[in-house]
Amino acid sequence: MSTNETIKNGRKPLKGLPDRIRDRWAGASGPQRWTVYVLLFIGALLLPSDSIGQFMSPYSDWASVLFFPIGTYVVLAIGLNVVVGQAGLLDLGYVAFFAIGGYVMALLGTKMGLNFWEILIVGVLLSALSGIVLGGPTLRLRGDYLAIVTLGFGEIVRQTAENTDAIGGPRGIAGIPHPPSIEGVELFGVEIFKYGVLDPRPYYYLLVVLATLIIVFVKRWEKSRVGRAWAAIREDEDAAEVMGVPTFKFKLLAFAIGAAIGGAMGVVWAGKTISINPNDFLFMLSATILAAVVLGGSGNIPGVVLGAFLVAWLPERFRGLSDYRILVFGAALVALMVFRPEGLLPSRRRRAELAEGTGGMGTLGAEVATPESQPAAEGAAK
Amino acid sequence: MLLEINDIHVHYGKIEAIKGISLEVAEGEIVTLIGANGAGKTTTLKTISGLRTLTSGSITFDGTDISRLPGHKRVLAGIGQAPEGRGVFPGMTVTENLLMGAYARKGDFGKDLDEVFELFPRLAERRDQAGGTMSGGEQQMVAIGRALMSRPKVLLLDEPSMGLAPKLVAQIFSIIKEINDRGTTVLLVEQNAQQALQLAHRAYVLETGRVVKSAPAADLLHDPQVREAYLGGELGAH
Repeated sequence: MSTNETIKNGRKPLKGLPDRIRDRWAGASGPQRWTVYVLLFIGALLLPSDSIGQFMSPYSDWASVLFFPIGTYVVLAIGLNVVVGQAGLLDLGYVAFFAIGGYVMALLGTKMGLNFWEILIVGVLLSALSGIVLGGPTLRLRGDYLAIVTLGFGEIVRQTAENTDAIGGPRGIAGIPHPPSIEGVELFGVEIFKYGVLDPRPYYYLLVVLATLIIVFVKRWEKSRVGRAWAAIREDEDAAEVMGVPTFKFKLLAFAIGAAIGGAMGVVWAGKTISINPNDFLFMLSATILAAVVLGGSGNIPGVVLGAFLVAWLPERFRGLSDYRILVFGAALVALMVFRPEGLLPSRRRRAELAEGTGGMGTLGAEVATPESQPAAEGAAK
Repeated sequence: MLLEINDIHVHYGKIEAIKGISLEVAEGEIVTLIGANGAGKTTTLKTISGLRTLTSGSITFDGTDISRLPGHKRVLAGIGQAPEGRGVFPGMTVTENLLMGAYARKGDFGKDLDEVFELFPRLAERRDQAGGTMSGGEQQMVAIGRALMSRPKVLLLDEPSMGLAPKLVAQIFSIIKEINDRGTTVLLVEQNAQQALQLAHRAYVLETGRVVKSAPAADLLHDPQVREAYLGGELGAH
């Protein structure tokens, strides 16, 4: 019976192409998977070629676009996905960690003369710490309450930067050093380790390596005990706690990891941009990255990468429509959410959660009883 | 006493939901808490499992004071709960759900899984199905089986009959009996007072955050006041 089939697989009997690809993937052997990984990596390295760029980005320099916004958004989306997609915590102030990374690079680079690689480590640690500082008091809140607090945190970080003269105030910081170059290493005519002003490609390669490392780490976490704990918290936090999952600790860990990824991206980005100012870290960026995560398929890394790519690339590609592109872009997002609310490439588990209507981002945590709603219910019963 | 609750008070914000409840559960017993909506049954259970914090009073389990122990550590101490509304993880399969029950433990869970599947043959048939796609009765089975996976000394059940067809309710209750016969102490919260009182050894009647009666369950079945309030008065007489 077809309905039985549905129940058994937890999905519709009419399978789309993504499902078939996923089935193949689930049955693929180790070497087959590694081949695909290596091909994807090489593909990412070949992306900034002119022939691809002519189509992908007729209005601006393709390699630059690949670094920012595309690559940057991809890394940020992977980081935010840990928080939103895996642990199910709605974070509306994710840009704060990107800003902290950026400012660490700018300050330590200009004032203390540290080298990029040293700052990268410091930046990752400091932003992870800031994630813990933010999470410590606020992760006792749930759903929309948490979202509001994180939204506030994003604004606090930006406003603080804007009003602190020691870090440049509204003018920001200029003269940020580039990563140290290694001259003479050429590949297809590109000096891949020469971090100068003119050629964006070395930065892009650096970003690809960073993104790859992050994906490897995140994937490993997802499959470990940590990932199981996150999934349980996302799907039902109270149930997770009574299963013996230290929910608070794992939520804090998700925040710290997400923050560290955002911070790392901030450092790399600031290392290319020369100058940063508080207006680089507007709420719009948090919202855009969140849109990328939800649009692509929250919780599923290929989906999230695709979502971030589209969110970053589409407005660049259609730059010719000038301001209307944002209107079209918005309409496209709305249409996508109407026709594919689970995202472009959702994970299967995610789809089952959404079907149930509970769990993490499914309802943005709105169904979770809050200290305010519960006594009202109990009071009404009296 | 395996579990002793001594004059606990619990607040939601400024509202006092539990106004000094004391109760005891001895090893091997089935104890039930009955009462209307808002009486504080679920809150009491959540307080025992650590999802709610005490304002005052104390909870002693197995001889140690667990009043300030976080919820996830109480699981290791031996308190297992099938939470209100079942709390099945919708995106996980039945097996994954059950294994989450053993999250806090280490070692091989094959034997425990087999035991749960033996208790709930239905779950064995559906072990690879996502929790969210199952019926209410099956989800209740997952919730109970999952709580058993932590090898609890006491099993807290929050309205296992909620939203189930009468036939399924009877089935779930006979399984609870079976679990108890195998040596697990059960603390059961129910609105279905008739069924709960028939199953339990002792019962507490809760009203607006207080215990108004406590007696052997069989006595309460014939108590005129209880009959009036919870068993449908004379209509419920057999």
